[in-house]
Amino acid sequence: MAGSGPMLEVKNISKNFGKVRALRSMSFELEKGKILGLVGDNGAGKSTLLKILSGDLQPSAGQIYLESKATRFKSPADAMKKGIAIAYQFLELVDIAKVWENFFMGRELTKRIGPLAFLDVQRMKYLTAEAIAKYGHTFDIEREVRELSGEQRQIIAVTRAIEANPEILLLDESFTLLSLDGRKDIVNFLGEVNKKIGITMIIVSHDLELIKTLSHYIMVLRAGEKMFFGHTDKISIDQIVKYMLP
Amino acid sequence: MKSARYLFGAVRAKSMEYYTWLLFIGIYLATGLFVPTLFIPATFLNVLVQGTTVGLLSIGMAFVMLVGEIDLSVVAVASFAPMAGILAWEIGLPVPAAILLTLLVGVGVGLFNGLLITKLRIPSLVQTCAMWWMLAGIVLVATRGMAKAGLPNSWMQLGRVFIGPIPLLVFFFIIVVSAAVIFARRTVTGRRLYLVGGNSEACSAMGIPVDRIRIIAFMTSGLFSALAGYALSARMGFVSARFAVEWLMPAIAAPVIAGLSLTGGRGNLINVVAGAYLVQLIVIVVRAGGVSGYSYEFVQGLLVFIAILVDTVRRRVTGL
Ligand SMILES: Nc1ncnc2c1ncn2[C@@H]1O[C@H](COP(=O)(O)OP(=O)(O)OP(=O)(O)O)[C@@H](O)[C@H]1O
Ligand SMILES: [Mg+2]
Repeated sequence: MAGSGPMLEVKNISKNFGKVRALRSMSFELEKGKILGLVGDNGAGKSTLLKILSGDLQPSAGQIYLESKATRFKSPADAMKKGIAIAYQFLELVDIAKVWENFFMGRELTKRIGPLAFLDVQRMKYLTAEAIAKYGHTFDIEREVRELSGEQRQIIAVTRAIEANPEILLLDESFTLLSLDGRKDIVNFLGEVNKKIGITMIIVSHDLELIKTLSHYIMVLRAGEKMFFGHTDKISIDQIVKYMLP
Repeated sequence: MKSARYLFGAVRAKSMEYYTWLLFIGIYLATGLFVPTLFIPATFLNVLVQGTTVGLLSIGMAFVMLVGEIDLSVVAVASFAPMAGILAWEIGLPVPAAILLTLLVGVGVGLFNGLLITKLRIPSLVQTCAMWWMLAGIVLVATRGMAKAGLPNSWMQLGRVFIGPIPLLVFFFIIVVSAAVIFARRTVTGRRLYLVGGNSEACSAMGIPVDRIRIIAFMTSGLFSALAGYALSARMGFVSARFAVEWLMPAIAAPVIAGLSLTGGRGNLINVVAGAYLVQLIVIVVRAGGVSGYSYEFVQGLLVFIAILVDTVRRRVTGL
């Protein structure tokens, strides 16, 4: 599989919501192990693009290729199976469920007893606590998510995506609720993970400094259209802002 | 000192978790002071046995409540499913197969309800109400409004056999309810019922097949309604169009009293059993008090009203 073209290729993807054209014939490629920083003003179409890549939305037109193979993500479960994980902009947590339940929702661990599969609750709790500690946080994984701070909630959403061990990691405004230190920690961590394991990432953020330090490539969207795609070194923050604004 | 306080706290937390059982036991003992027959073992066993009907119906109802829905067709399934089994037996199906058919009919009705509710987006209140009247109507036509007696002996074993002093039905109830509890607590699908009830949009975004989970909730409800109907017919020795209908309100009240949120996502099935027995106890006491059939209807309504009051107060207190 290796060397058989880009990890991800998006070709002429469009998405309409009624009259709203959220994405207009968007195309780009991303090599394996690279981080793409995706920026644009409110309503530019960033979340829409990520939701299409995570199977949560279907494109109105266009094609997606994974390692040069034409692919359709029929549902979030389907995308997950194909190695995509996402931390949504609006977190998508079940407030009245516990931390560890949220951490493993949709990818629950089981153990077999005879022909039956039962939840491996102990292991899920252990791994959740371990993962959270790895990112420098300690909070009770038995608590219901609604009792946690915004930062803690975001940590759950982000770490559960990373810990799903995806081929492609999608992060949509995943640092907004973090403290400055928390943000630094996770950015360092993402950089490390990317170097060590070579996860391909698309990161959406309004924090252009963060995007500049973390990404290999930058793509700027404006009103559903690609205004710029190129190496991070090839564009300054001022230029990014110019592309973003009408 | 500290550890003593910790222990006390832990015990209190645990006992609060099962407060419905405390409530049931407390009210049983308290009413026993006024209705001393409650302390006679035979009466106690009678409560246990009679409670199985509302118990099974409430467990079924609890599954749909977990996903934030309701199933009004449970009492109709409880007469329609065993009726189908008995009619099939009459035209030659052996009894075990007829019992299996009864359960499959229950599951099938649940599947049908679930499909219409998820795929056509019919509110469950409307869909299951329509199903209730349809099934009740079919049974009325099939029986010309008469009770169907003359059930085969082996069909009625469940309601007649004793193991020592304890009726077989009680063991059957414990086993079936344990299976339900394990399913809800220890399986992927069971846990997902809670998650879907908590926030279905987050669930579908995270790859949980929300419609399928909802449909399974209705199928489980159908299964338990059929089990309730089968057990009731085995105990009574007949099936009729209306023989479970008086248990609809109690079957809604019991899970709510047991702390299942009406909006879904919360609740412990073990408590639902206590809620069902509590409701059963109230019904028995009211009947022992010689309340007429008419005011009995009022008592049913009152039960639901109390349940909803309890649910509201609890939500105020816990902030949910
Ligand atoms: N489900 C939807 N139904 C209708 N319109 C939608 C829907 N989702 C997004 N849109 C519209 O599509 C456009 C792009 O939205 P999108 O959420 O992708 O923007 P974004 O770049 O993520 O913005 P933000 O920075 O605010 O998160 C907007 O005009 C938005 O109103
Ligand atoms: Mg967005």
